[in-house]
Amino acid sequence: MQNGHPITKAVYEAKKDLQKADDLIRDYIPFIRSEASKCISKLCTEQDDEFSIAMIAFHEAILGYERGRGTFLGYASMVIHSRIIDYRRKESRHQGHVSLYAESGEGDRTVMDEMADERDHYEESANLEATRQEIEELAAVMAGFGISFSDVSDNSPKQERTLEACSSAIRYASENSHLLNELLRTKKLPLAQLAAGSGVERKTLERHRKYILAMLLIQTNGYEIIRGHLRHILKRKGGMPV
Amino acid sequence: MRYMVMECHPGFAVVLDEDGRFLKVANRHYKVGQTVTEVIEMQNPVSAPQKRKIKRWAYTLAAAAACMVLAVTSVLRMGQGTYASVYMTINPEVRIDVNRNDTVVGLEGINSDGEELIEGYRYKKKDLNQVMDELVDRAIDMGYLYEGGQISLMLDAESDEWIVTYSDALTSHLYEYLKEKLSVTIEVTDKNTQSNQVIIPVAPEESTYGESDYGEEESAVQPSLNPAPDTMSGDSGYDDMQTDYEEQGDISSGSQPDDSEADGQSDYENQSEYDLDDSDDDSDDDDSGDDDSDDDD
Repeated sequence: MQNGHPITKAVYEAKKDLQKADDLIRDYIPFIRSEASKCISKLCTEQDDEFSIAMIAFHEAILGYERGRGTFLGYASMVIHSRIIDYRRKESRHQGHVSLYAESGEGDRTVMDEMADERDHYEESANLEATRQEIEELAAVMAGFGISFSDVSDNSPKQERTLEACSSAIRYASENSHLLNELLRTKKLPLAQLAAGSGVERKTLERHRKYILAMLLIQTNGYEIIRGHLRHILKRKGGMPV
Repeated sequence: MRYMVMECHPGFAVVLDEDGRFLKVANRHYKVGQTVTEVIEMQNPVSAPQKRKIKRWAYTLAAAAACMVLAVTSVLRMGQGTYASVYMTINPEVRIDVNRNDTVVGLEGINSDGEELIEGYRYKKKDLNQVMDELVDRAIDMGYLYEGGQISLMLDAESDEWIVTYSDALTSHLYEYLKEKLSVTIEVTDKNTQSNQVIIPVAPEESTYGESDYGEEESAVQPSLNPAPDTMSGDSGYDDMQTDYEEQGDISSGSQPDDSEADGQSDYENQSEYDLDDSDDDSDDDDSGDDDSDDDD
């Protein structure tokens, strides 16, 4: 019965293809908003956090759905409700407090921004365009290697220790720029040299191949802003900047 | 923690945190290149049902496999268990266990001589007849069995059919085997009959049956003993019987058929004495009567 339903088929296709997932989500925005509204017992606008949460919950539902779990829309509705409830429970701890990051009436600016040096904020907004260009450039290079940021985020190490291991491999590569040049030239990850040089298990690197690749590309020339953002990764070892 | 937005989709955004993690977060109208400070991370969907399905399937398979193993092992072991035992006594006494296929599965010395006899002997995968032959040979070599000696076989099995079949077969086989070497006496008993022999008082019919079954030795020595109880009627039979009994008594005393004959004889004797007395009187009377009638005639 469910096998023949067009939405089930669409969901199964969307699991594999990110573009189709985006299309599916776009098509179901009214459904998502109505579910979010039901949950918060008031009309949900696209500006609400709950709407964003409902959107990502719908995306989760696409990835998590299986035929044995009933109809897709029923399942998606359940996921949306649970995520919104989770979010509200988490937020309820901060009731009566104003977050430093809370918006303070004037658009994008937060309380923190207002309290901090004004110039920092302006500088950041000026840099927004430059940052965007850098990211687009990086995305284009990564597309040349056949990966996207979504792939990298799926492949990103979750555990603290694994992340640390990967970071040490990346540090080693940034110290030895010939490895980065070799990567760009041959379009092959020098995993053996990375493993030997940083003392990380090759298997660990192998498992997070896409992540390592993206991070190594960031270490190549031309991504100063992103590298500046990633200050922790290069400082980690003994607290000494490289 | 600050996050740099790397990629935007309608459903989610990919951000890069300062530790170098790429995260999927709720897209709250982010733009690429923007730096944000608070994100709502996407939770990884769980795919538990599929795992459970595989497990269920595995349970079924495991159960089926276990059943198969049980069935196969039971079938294989069925032929291997001890089905019957042969106790062979020369002086060394040994027990030979066999399975359904007459293959020897166990060999044990009952007394110390028996243990000595089978010491270092390999019985595995050998036929019952072969093992018996070889053990008899060993007994001859070690001096336990000699000319005119005796071999007792006692059969023990669940099925009476087996005992009946093998009591004959084993004896004839051993006779055949030892014909050129030695002349020995072979006695075959089985546990059930032996116990019967002790408990049940013997009637003439039963003693006949018992003789044919376990009294091979006796029949070999004196085959003319069998018809004895049947012929116990009439004067002429009585006389013959008596002579037989007297000869027999010297050779083997105390066996049931002889006892019954002895009882019968004694009864008969007493009665006959009594009859003789009566008949003497009668005959006198008759004679006188006859004489009278004769005279009349």
